[in-house]
Amino acid sequence: MISIARWASVLFSLAVAFATAAAQETSPASPRPRVKIGFVEIENDQRYEPILAYERITLKTREHPYAGAELGVGDTAVLTRVLPADFTLERIIAKSSADVAPAMLAALDAGTHFFLLDGPAEAFKPVAATLRGRDVLVFNVSEPDDSLRRDLCAAEFVHVYPSRAQLMDGLVQYVVSRKWRDLLLLQGPSPADATTAAALERSAQKFGARIVANQHFKPGTDPREREQNDPALLSAINRDFDVAFVADNAFDFARTVPYRLARPRPVVGSIDLEPVAWHWTWERNGAPQVNSRFDKKSGGRHMEGADWAAWLAIKMIVQSALRTGSADFGKQRAFILGDGTFDGDKGLAMSVRRWDHQVRQAILLAAPYEVVAAAPIEGFLHRTNELDTLGDDEPESPCHLQR
Amino acid sequence: MLKFAAVILAMLACAPALAKDTGLVFVSNEKTNNIIVIDPKTYKVVSNIKVARRPRDMHFSADHSMLYVACGDDDVIDVLDVAKLQIVGKLKTGPSPEAFAIDEKRRRVYVSDEEGSSLAIIDLDRDTIMKEVPTGAEPEGVLVGDEGKTVYVTSEAGDLVHAIDTDTGAIKHDVVVGLRPRRLAATPDGKELWVTAELSGEVDIIDRGRFVVTGSVSFLPPGMRKTDVTPVGLTMTRDGKTAYVTLGHAAHVAIVDVPARKVLGYILVGKRPWGITLSRDEQTLYVANGLGDDITIIDTKSRKARVSVPVGRIPYGVAVDD
Repeated sequence: MISIARWASVLFSLAVAFATAAAQETSPASPRPRVKIGFVEIENDQRYEPILAYERITLKTREHPYAGAELGVGDTAVLTRVLPADFTLERIIAKSSADVAPAMLAALDAGTHFFLLDGPAEAFKPVAATLRGRDVLVFNVSEPDDSLRRDLCAAEFVHVYPSRAQLMDGLVQYVVSRKWRDLLLLQGPSPADATTAAALERSAQKFGARIVANQHFKPGTDPREREQNDPALLSAINRDFDVAFVADNAFDFARTVPYRLARPRPVVGSIDLEPVAWHWTWERNGAPQVNSRFDKKSGGRHMEGADWAAWLAIKMIVQSALRTGSADFGKQRAFILGDGTFDGDKGLAMSVRRWDHQVRQAILLAAPYEVVAAAPIEGFLHRTNELDTLGDDEPESPCHLQR
Repeated sequence: MLKFAAVILAMLACAPALAKDTGLVFVSNEKTNNIIVIDPKTYKVVSNIKVARRPRDMHFSADHSMLYVACGDDDVIDVLDVAKLQIVGKLKTGPSPEAFAIDEKRRRVYVSDEEGSSLAIIDLDRDTIMKEVPTGAEPEGVLVGDEGKTVYVTSEAGDLVHAIDTDTGAIKHDVVVGLRPRRLAATPDGKELWVTAELSGEVDIIDRGRFVVTGSVSFLPPGMRKTDVTPVGLTMTRDGKTAYVTLGHAAHVAIVDVPARKVLGYILVGKRPWGITLSRDEQTLYVANGLGDDITIIDTKSRKARVSVPVGRIPYGVAVDD
């Protein structure tokens, strides 16, 4: 029997263990195995630059999801008595995308087999080449790029963050379920906007929506280019449409679109109704408790998709030890990539797709202050698992990691 | 607060004669903050009682004079006078009370506080929280056993069932069960604890003596897929022979042969059934369809739904005064 005081001291020493983990490889007092998890991010990652208006006013701050990983480790405290190992988190900050692979290799050689990679798409290719065939699992916690799943297709990766295809499929399922089948696409000039538009076209084709016009906008205020920068003029087309989709990763144009269209139509995509991995207002499946725990951990920040993915990645690693009763990497990997099912607080149980190692999951369709719906939307059916109506299903995927 | 307790005590002293076996069916509705009261014969709504915000789990006092209602967004348990159909008092709880169990002999309430990740032990007469026992994250199902010596609680996010010593408040044992354990039922012989594991789609069976999982029952109604099956609520007949389990996403109730640990059949109900209650004569089963905003009333003999009755929004549980 463990008294409250003893239990509290276990909790406390666990917290101390987390805090001093990096400095202290093995503790003579604790014979328990220790599973080390590396959290890898890149200094000056463009994706976390704040979005500004007129270079002065901050529209959106964006934070690395380290707090999500910390929450994941903190959540294991109560499981100490039933877990076969302790878990420690080490934050590794690389100077550039090119420095990521060497840093991970060094950590792997020092005994870290699990990594959360919080990097842009270009960081993944060298990592895949460097770690190929090694005893390592790298959890992608923030990058939706489809080419990582389709073309890079590396067995060492587990994509916890949803792919762009999953996100877009979720959004298109919703508009189609509302019978808003005719879409006006407003596409920006960046390559990222082109990628977004291509993903929309693919999803529209998959679920029977139509892109009635693709208007390329040119952000700016030059009155001579008003045909390209005024949402009212861009949307004043002969064909009617049910909804406007804005593909604007820079966001500066997107924020000018709602309430300025030629017709009274809802706006989706980069603003208003966005497909996301997670939202701070999701109120089902135990999400409010996760959100409020995160809020406390992060000092009042709202939990974002990448935070959620980092939290779930840790949970997957911990579950693999809990369910196999082992801290053996091979057994843990086999569980995660095989029969393992995971509770990500979005309803249906999640698991890893064997063909491209994408985590199958629900997609939330979020307005600024409300999750309007969760995809898969009722009525979109699949022969084995409805979560596979979202993103690349096995027959569509060019990646075949495990048959 | 003492005043409230005094009111409660006064009610307890005089109420039984007034409120015996009204037969009324009480449904708590999370989103409309009310208790809908239904006449079991006409299926008509006879009362709509406003309570504190987000009412969820409900239990009667032993004499059925009072109905206690845990209200998650106001951190209280409202006390409803069954004869008057009025709220007559409240007990303070920890943050976001979800489920609870009453031990009348010890005059205690055990409440899972899902935000606080703790089990609060409340003195029923003095309206004070005697102790808060830290549990795994998102505690839910609560069950008192061993003549009040042990309380069992599930941790949804921790995949655990804790056995807690009610005298010391210490966790005696933990057992790892399936994904997202929700609610508990005990076999009448005191040997087994049944727990629904929502995301594993099964009920896990715990041997209470050794506190280990010794088996499980999986569900698959016809035409459904494994991933649709998300069991949450369960109830057992007094002879310990039959259990009824609500299957959430799969919109069915499973009938289980308890000793054989075998599924006997499935009954189609409404959308996302969670709460489930048997009438005292065990002829009628009441199921709260959380996303259907109605309850399904089932005849247990024919295993057929008799009728569905619309209630408030997001009905959580059903309690029957019979």
